Amino acid sequence: MISSDQDDLRLLRESARTLFERAGGSGRARKLRDAGGTWDPEMVHELAEVGVLGVAVPEVNGGLGIGLAAGGVIAEEVGRVIAPEPVVMTIGLSLGLLRRLCPDHPKVAQLISGDTVLPVAWQERGSGGAPGDAACRYADGKLTGSKAWVVGAAGSHGFLVVARGDDGPVLVLVEATTNGCSVENRLQADGSAMGELSFSATPAEELARGNAVTEALSEAISDTTALAAAELVGLSDRAFEITLDYIKTREQFDKPIGSFQILQHRAVDLNIMREVAQAGVREVLARMQYETDPGVRKRLASRAKARAVTAAKKITRDAVQLHGAVGYTDEFDIGLYLNRALVLSAWLGDDTYHRRMWFKAREQEGAA
Amino acid sequence: MMADWNAMSDTEFRKEVRHFFETEYPEELRHLPHRPKFVEIEHWHRKLHAKGWVAPAWPAEYGGMGLNAAKLLIFYEEQQRWGVNRGRDMGVQMVGPLIIKFGTQQQKDYWLPRILSCEDIWCQGYSEPGAGSDLASLRTRAGIDGDDFVINGQKTWTTMAHDATHMFMLVRTDPGAPKKQQGISFLLAPMDQPGVDVRPIRTLAGEYEFCEVFFDNARTPCENLVGELNKGWTMAKALLSFERIFIGSPSLAQNALGQLESFARCRGAFDDPVFCDRFAQAALDVEDHAALYARFADQLKRGETLGADVSMLKIWVTECFQRITELMIEAAGPDGGTISSLQIGNVSVDVLASFYKARPTTIYGGSNEIQRNILSKAVLGLPG
Repeated sequence: MISSDQDDLRLLRESARTLFERAGGSGRARKLRDAGGTWDPEMVHELAEVGVLGVAVPEVNGGLGIGLAAGGVIAEEVGRVIAPEPVVMTIGLSLGLLRRLCPDHPKVAQLISGDTVLPVAWQERGSGGAPGDAACRYADGKLTGSKAWVVGAAGSHGFLVVARGDDGPVLVLVEATTNGCSVENRLQADGSAMGELSFSATPAEELARGNAVTEALSEAISDTTALAAAELVGLSDRAFEITLDYIKTREQFDKPIGSFQILQHRAVDLNIMREVAQAGVREVLARMQYETDPGVRKRLASRAKARAVTAAKKITRDAVQLHGAVGYTDEFDIGLYLNRALVLSAWLGDDTYHRRMWFKAREQEGAA
Repeated sequence: MMADWNAMSDTEFRKEVRHFFETEYPEELRHLPHRPKFVEIEHWHRKLHAKGWVAPAWPAEYGGMGLNAAKLLIFYEEQQRWGVNRGRDMGVQMVGPLIIKFGTQQQKDYWLPRILSCEDIWCQGYSEPGAGSDLASLRTRAGIDGDDFVINGQKTWTTMAHDATHMFMLVRTDPGAPKKQQGISFLLAPMDQPGVDVRPIRTLAGEYEFCEVFFDNARTPCENLVGELNKGWTMAKALLSFERIFIGSPSLAQNALGQLESFARCRGAFDDPVFCDRFAQAALDVEDHAALYARFADQLKRGETLGADVSMLKIWVTECFQRITELMIEAAGPDGGTISSLQIGNVSVDVLASFYKARPTTIYGGSNEIQRNILSKAVLGLPG
């Protein structure tokens, strides 16, 4: 990567960090959770103003066009303050689909400007999630069926739904206010909600159809998986910092507990995990930006998520242990990080799943 | 006529180095599982010497290649990639740079050419039975008697002392110094004399790579003191910073992983989903480590000095290397205890060779526990 790119990324990181810190850091996440568990539309707007939502959208379509690595920078900053806004969903999935399938649709501009949030509903209970598997039917402008695990459904303006059309997959747009669209929110460990959507003859606008939908979805999922990994990297960074500060100040036996060798060695191991995860995930995002083979991109994304989940799980759980009893209370922020890590790990596949996917992809490449 | 290697592009330089190794390095010496005696690699050393490539890091005026950090890294990467044995490089890696930095003109003129030609073969006398991780507690004494230092004591874990002509050593020259790090000096001593007794130590792998060395009134001329008297500790430490990235390089683990994969395929181990997952874990540990290694290497290439945090690489990669070699044993099943080469299909593997090779990596170069102590204080700023 050339150095001017690096400078762009640094500036982007600084502006995102300043924005989040000014808004209250992780304290804001706690407030939003206690207020009922959704995100702040104002924050989405503010993020849009610094251009972060359109980082991966080409300039000609109104984005910044600086690519996936920049998305990773934003995602890390989101993770550091465990911001509940569906930023990764918007950059990776919503815009990831639309910029590939219908870059001129007015929703693209609205997503980039933060005026709308459109979660992507692509999975269904009882199916693998590939668009061809979808039982949710789209015919004659109407959608019928159900979708599951929709991140950011609560408070969104509508949905991008992958469904089965008359002759293959389709991508349709459903406004949240439309009759026949119901959303059941499933409360997550971090206070957010995952939506279970059901449609019964719900009017919808067709955006794209055919194989292109399958391909775009698969690519967008690769992007989003890697971005979710970056979010976990940011989360792990901050969880580790909080813990390190804590063991430097908490005293027992007349000494800071961080002076005990066993805790020092644990802290060192967590730090190494964090550094390895950061280096691995950043390398993946930089490579995915220029890689065109969808199979390779998928393998890279799996590598990133597998690493990030392994690190985040270990770091947040050990962080609670190193905090001792207060770590188990809701009064310390470290628990918020543990809970957020649970949700982000489960979304789009955990480390075991992605190791399996990585291995499979590698075997397929080897055979080809 | 010296080439200006640093003026070449990285790609050009890499090509040149790779070409030389691939065409000139003897096939039968690639990826040697043991440390060779000098006679085994003498022929290769002569070629390297004739080419002027024995000491890539030394300044050209002393007969080195004068490579900058970026080029040096490429040189070592290519060396490891092709499985080129490092040879008996203690002289080039350890004592040469020390003489260049702290030695007198006379010492430079005398010793440096002999290091390059391997007329003198060096071993490192640092560790002692009571001074391993706590090296500064060393007790081997050297007192002045006329024009000589007289040495008494014992060194241990001295790699290849039984195939060395000289030892560079840390000795205690002032037992009354207030701190144990003070009163240590850096001496050069000939091995071939009545007061030096070398006893090779058999390793777990059944080989003789390191020795105990006993000193009973052994002598070395006072002119073989390098640097100031009683200042040896600081000098020896000053040398270590650049080398620390190499001890954390991904190559050992990468090579072991490649071996594991071809062996596991022949064994049908990939039919077992449990094995697949553990293989994937190990492979990803190596890939992500390589990403972190690249970050530190870039730092070097930009001309920055590496901080204490570089020892993260060593901890991670050595432990990962061990896990890979343990997986190899698992994949071998009932052959997991066999200490000679196994022929499986068209792959020949010595299952335990890499296992044994991996064991000391977490101990040498500062044990991983010592590295963790250093990281916790120097990088994380933890107290005590």
